[in-house]
Amino acid sequence: MDLVKIDSKNIYYPPGGILMWIIIFLELFTFGMALVAMAMYSKDEPEVFHSSRLLLNTTFGLVNTIFLLTSGFFMVKSVESFKVNNIKKSSLYLKLTMLGGFLFLLLKSFEYYEKMEAGLSIGYNTFFSFYWMLTLFHVIHVLVGLVILSSVYFSLNKKKMDMSANDFEASATFWHMCDLIWLLLFPIIYLIF
Amino acid sequence: MISNIYFKVLLLLLALTISAAFVAKFGFDLKVAAAITLTLFIVKFLGVAFYFMELKKAHVFWKSSVLIFVSIFLAIVLMIV
Repeated sequence: MDLVKIDSKNIYYPPGGILMWIIIFLELFTFGMALVAMAMYSKDEPEVFHSSRLLLNTTFGLVNTIFLLTSGFFMVKSVESFKVNNIKKSSLYLKLTMLGGFLFLLLKSFEYYEKMEAGLSIGYNTFFSFYWMLTLFHVIHVLVGLVILSSVYFSLNKKKMDMSANDFEASATFWHMCDLIWLLLFPIIYLIF
Repeated sequence: MISNIYFKVLLLLLALTISAAFVAKFGFDLKVAAAITLTLFIVKFLGVAFYFMELKKAHVFWKSSVLIFVSIFLAIVLMIV
């Protein structure tokens, strides 16, 4: 295993890699601008946004936040174990991380099913257009994150493991990015209108 | 020791999540509740970025970029809402 120490204090080597951080900023700007647009539209139709927000299940959003944050914690533990070459523990924590992601998707699917059953589809009103577009875009990120983590998991369990700590850290950074995006989405969509 | 810090950060993040939900549900004025809720979430955002993503070990450029982004985002949303 590659245990070359990288100086994270160097501007070109942030933890997770510079390319990952460029992606993170692009994502944050994209979601940030969409949320600002949502807030601006809410000024035109405050009653619609308020009554629509009340149709969302805040408890589901809250539980999903807990799933993602706990999953992020296990990701940190997995990277930490990997860095001290404890592959068995790292693999176990990675499984728990992915479990958090799956539970998030499961609850989100149930929430989407409920909304569809109630006829609250993407064209219902402006609020629900934003709700579907933003949360589905985030779900796609979680799915991509799970694919990345699965590939890391299979690499970890190979007999001849050829993954570096930097690759592992970059995958972890992508997973944490899903947390960051959700922490912007949840309060604005589920709580403030 | 390091693991202990991460666990404390997780507990703090979970506590802030629940507090934010309570503020939003039983909040006072809509504007005040929005300001408190968003501020709590920005603190959580920074907790994830600085501890879980280890941004605290990064160059000051990356730290300040994240801080500037969240400050501008919070200011714009609070001005609108």
